[in-house]
Amino acid sequence: MYQALLTRKYLTTKIMPLLAIAAVTLSVATVLVTWSVMGGFLNTLLTSGRSMIGDVSIYWPNVGFPYYDELCERLEKDPRIKAACPIIESFGVIALPDDQVHGVMVKGIDGTRFARVTDYERTLWWRPLDRPMPKDTDRVDPRLGTDKGYFAGEDWAARLEAGLTLTEPDGSAAAVPGIELSGWNIRLPSGVYIPGAPQRPGRDGKARGINLFLPDGEITLHLMPLDKTGRGVEMVTRTVPVANEFHSGIYEADSQVVFVRFDLVQRMLNMDEAERIERPESPFVFNPKTGRLEEAHTEVIGVDPARATTVLVRAADGVPVHSEEDIEAFRGVCESIYAEFAADHAGEVPGSGSILVRSWRDMNRTMISAVEKETGLVLFVFGLVCFTTVFLVLAIFWSMVSEKTKDIGILRALGGSTAGITWLWLRYGGAVGAVGSGLGLLAAWIVVRNINEIHQWLGDNLGLVIWDPSVYYFFKIPSDMDWQKAVVVVAAGVGTCLFGAALPALRAGLMDPVRALRFE
Amino acid sequence: MNETAPIISATDVHKTYRMGRVRVPVLKGVSLGIAPGEWVAVLGASGSGKSTLLHLLGGLDRPDKTDKKNGSARIEFEGRALGRMSRGELDRYRATRIGFVFQFYHLLPELRVLENVTVGAMVRHGRLGYTRHRKEIVNRASGLLEAFGLGHRLRHRPGELSGGERQRVAIARALINEPRVLLADEPTGNLDRATGESILDAIDDLRERLGLTIIMVTHDQHVAERAERVIRLEDGVIAANNAPPKKNILRT
Ligand SMILES: Nc1ncnc2c1ncn2[C@@H]1O[C@H](COP(=O)(O)OP(=O)(O)OP(=O)(O)O)[C@@H](O)[C@H]1O
Ligand SMILES: [Mg+2]
Repeated sequence: MYQALLTRKYLTTKIMPLLAIAAVTLSVATVLVTWSVMGGFLNTLLTSGRSMIGDVSIYWPNVGFPYYDELCERLEKDPRIKAACPIIESFGVIALPDDQVHGVMVKGIDGTRFARVTDYERTLWWRPLDRPMPKDTDRVDPRLGTDKGYFAGEDWAARLEAGLTLTEPDGSAAAVPGIELSGWNIRLPSGVYIPGAPQRPGRDGKARGINLFLPDGEITLHLMPLDKTGRGVEMVTRTVPVANEFHSGIYEADSQVVFVRFDLVQRMLNMDEAERIERPESPFVFNPKTGRLEEAHTEVIGVDPARATTVLVRAADGVPVHSEEDIEAFRGVCESIYAEFAADHAGEVPGSGSILVRSWRDMNRTMISAVEKETGLVLFVFGLVCFTTVFLVLAIFWSMVSEKTKDIGILRALGGSTAGITWLWLRYGGAVGAVGSGLGLLAAWIVVRNINEIHQWLGDNLGLVIWDPSVYYFFKIPSDMDWQKAVVVVAAGVGTCLFGAALPALRAGLMDPVRALRFE
Repeated sequence: MNETAPIISATDVHKTYRMGRVRVPVLKGVSLGIAPGEWVAVLGASGSGKSTLLHLLGGLDRPDKTDKKNGSARIEFEGRALGRMSRGELDRYRATRIGFVFQFYHLLPELRVLENVTVGAMVRHGRLGYTRHRKEIVNRASGLLEAFGLGHRLRHRPGELSGGERQRVAIARALINEPRVLLADEPTGNLDRATGESILDAIDDLRERLGLTIIMVTHDQHVAERAERVIRLEDGVIAANNAPPKKNILRT
């Protein structure tokens, strides 16, 4: 009982415990802010990692596999699957209007179907915008609408539509390269892209500054079709108008991927439906009727079905695919559906044992392991902070016990027991921990909730930019408090104080009461 | 000695302090018996071991272990040897039977006057007991403070009181659990004569009303005069054990 009273009194009338509380508050807040923001950041990174690849991909590289539409239908019949779509993946080379040449990853997609499986639509950059980006204080973003200059009266909705369908207004197939690919977009510190490029070497070796809006231009696309044996045949070249550009937040994709309308890629790669013909042994045959050599007729002996290299699958809403176990289970679903499909088309499609069925986690292994390492690092720092705080609390409590030696003697003279006095100080430590952690939690919550505003303020007033969107590819610092982590950190804060107070408390309890009373 | 059985007694008590290798013998065989309701003054030179004796009698400290030299050494309260008590029993002994008053008041500076008195009851009763008897305890505490003329200062802190007022709070605290024995270590040593007298009056009054046994350490002959009996400590033993010096003796 006296412990409760004295704890309260000591807490409210002394400076020392306030110092201890401040130390705990700061530690808890720091750890929580770091952990929350770091966690949010990594989560965002993971989500972007998933944004362009769906949940599971069924993949047979190079020559691809036929009957992909049937496979998609079979997949979509399963209630656990929301959508599936075929794509064709191939390496290619593009030439930009300024004669720059890039090796790229070409993905043939049907934009609207692809958008049901991935976040494709959300990544299309050139689109109508009703609000500026969070850090775009100057409102320089042309997408906000302008009545002057190059973009005066631009129809951004039409741009978005063209990007989504990969089709120009005249109906021709178009391409959507990543926003970093051409180098024609300048990324402002606010994270906004504006068209315009630094001086770059032209074909003649002289420097040239290009100030052109890529979606108004066209690119030259070179693809290498393969024959049935997988050997390359002659390069196929087409000039393709650019409909839009995409921004996924993953630099590798944004700088190396070009989406092109599915049917065009399929045709260029000779993967479309074709008659199978049989050529005679020699190009000329002797016609006995005329007695002359005549050109031999080729004979149609069947149809080669169209092929795609990949089918992407998206899980239905509510089907969990985030954790390793969940996504493995979902991958199993896709695998078994493919197995049925392969059984019905034995000999025509790759067997279920050889086809590659990979989850988004499989394809983002490096990033995920980096994420897990980061979390480990945060926990390490967390441990370090706890350790420091233990010593801090220990030091503060040790000196408070010394200062209060006389009180301890008095309480013992009044009949207080060793355990009672120990409990008084432990309880006091717990109270300091609880108050400190509570305040730390509150502070962390306020900071995390307003981290973008705080960051903005720091940038405006002190010129401090910690989170540069042009580095991190997100416009906003993730500002969600993770309550599970909060519980862990607060518990650790209280535990730390109890731990730090334990030794001084024991010292207080074991103090010789007579010596304590004589203490000056 | 009185004919009645002593409430508290010491037999051949030794106490030696050790400072590193140096042994400081303070009490070298003290024997005394104090009757219930008796007022005994303990006199002696500074450093003669008066405080030490009080601490031993109050169970706050233990005397030297018995050996051949002092085989029968013990302190008894109502016939029970303190040396036989466990730590917990000693704690309870201090909480319920003994009230301590110190020379330098020893109040808890963070607590208000009333709380400084009730804290003794909190220590004694624990959470449950205190909550149950709370009203009663607070009433008794304010009654005691009222009797000491502090009824209007209940919410003050010790730092805002004069020395005499503080000592009265300390006495009220010592009495809150209705102890049998009051051990007072120079309770008036820091006070002027008039204030000291008023405190002694208050104690005397309590003794008469509650039958309190009082053992009071003092340097002051005037204080000793008020006691029924004076014990004088010299060289670690009791040198004199008799009625208080009369005034004429004092004048010589
Ligand atoms: N913890 C200790 N360690 C060593 N010596 C001690 C200790 N406590 C007391 N002493 C010594 O024991 C002797 C008796 O001390 P005590 O406080 O009992 O004297 P006292 O008679 O109360 O004196 P005063 O009248 O000055 O209060 C002193 O010489 C003191 O130095
Ligand atoms: Mg003394």
